[in-house]
Amino acid sequence: MKLTTFLLLAAAAAAFAAPAWGRPWWMRGTDSNETDFLPPDVAFRTGATLEGQAVRVRWVIADGYYLYKDKIEVRAESPDLEVGPPELPSGVMKSDPFLGRQEIYTQQVEARVPFTRGDYGAHPLQIKVTYQGCAEGGLCYPPITKVLYPAAKLPEAAVNPPRRWELLAIIGGLLTFLAAGYVLRRERKLPLPAR
Amino acid sequence: MTYGGLRVLGAGVLAMLCAWAGARIYMNWHARSTTDLSVPAGIASPATPADEAAEARFAALPRIPDQLPQFTLNSLQGQATPISAWAGRPLVINFWATWCAPCRREIPLLNSLAGEWASQDEVAVIGIAVDHRDQVSQFAAQVKISYPLLIGEQDALDVAAKFGLDSPAFPFTVFTDRRGEVVALFVGELHRRQADLIMSVVRNLDKGSLKLVEARRQIAQGLDALAEKS
Repeated sequence: MKLTTFLLLAAAAAAFAAPAWGRPWWMRGTDSNETDFLPPDVAFRTGATLEGQAVRVRWVIADGYYLYKDKIEVRAESPDLEVGPPELPSGVMKSDPFLGRQEIYTQQVEARVPFTRGDYGAHPLQIKVTYQGCAEGGLCYPPITKVLYPAAKLPEAAVNPPRRWELLAIIGGLLTFLAAGYVLRRERKLPLPAR
Repeated sequence: MTYGGLRVLGAGVLAMLCAWAGARIYMNWHARSTTDLSVPAGIASPATPADEAAEARFAALPRIPDQLPQFTLNSLQGQATPISAWAGRPLVINFWATWCAPCRREIPLLNSLAGEWASQDEVAVIGIAVDHRDQVSQFAAQVKISYPLLIGEQDALDVAAKFGLDSPAFPFTVFTDRRGEVVALFVGELHRRQADLIMSVVRNLDKGSLKLVEARRQIAQGLDALAEKS
């Protein structure tokens, strides 16, 4: 394979490598059928961040799975901590002939949980979250309870590097190309294209 | 444009593509190395999408016992009932809970299977409610359930663990033959076509025309074929 062809293929492959998924987009979903279900901690991933006097609890929900709004509970776990009721966004209404109308979340949901602590920071902040969800394919998980340790939020730039890097790289590549051409032309190592 | 001009233009495009690809690689690496994507810190049980491939085969359970484990649970009336009370009959043991919508959806199917298969093959359908007794009693008063129910909380979870499900999800249904061999464990909502397929293999097993390993293989292949059709 010529070097040029290889470089072009490598560039195309790198451009399409999606950072958010472990496998390429065209393979997503091929593992799922009626009898394959994810373990609960993969179907519903959760974590919490500290933001002033509130904790933000986020659930990332796998495709084809959902969480019930009314089954989400957040309680204080560490001593001298009091948490308010979680502030949740509106979900999607799901009609079920057996359970009636239920408000559910898909994809992801974030709850803001205000708190007050009377220990002046003596104990690490811990909350206990309970949630329950199901798979559209016909499976329900028992309520899941986890103790979370809310961490300070990472700066936005650390999570998503600014897209200006992409533009800067393209302009940089172009300028390098022109500069190299100019230098080589001055040293008469690069002939001009024949007219 | 001449060949030389095309070469220069091609080199320019290639330089820009390489620079762009470099930037993408940097951004991907940066996104992976700084954080666990969209889930914030403070995760009790961290899991990334990359784990999915390794863990996704939730239904392909390697520890399904060959023989029906022995256990005793209370009936709806509070009477301790051993599973051996149905010894010598093919069993369909359905684990369910009142808060589980797909479990509730299965009940009409299980009612009809209990009627049809009991007369044809002496099959016993048994429901095991992993739930609070009062909620099951309340539910059973509203919804007709024509097959016997056993109830338990932690003790029922312990029974589920005997089938290889340490952290079970519901519903799941166990099929055994007359000799108590565990032929299939179906995780998720059972539908008529799947139940018929599994039961046809159980019948062949009971006739002695199949071995357990072959029966399980036929069921796995049949279920895959049904999943592809739907």
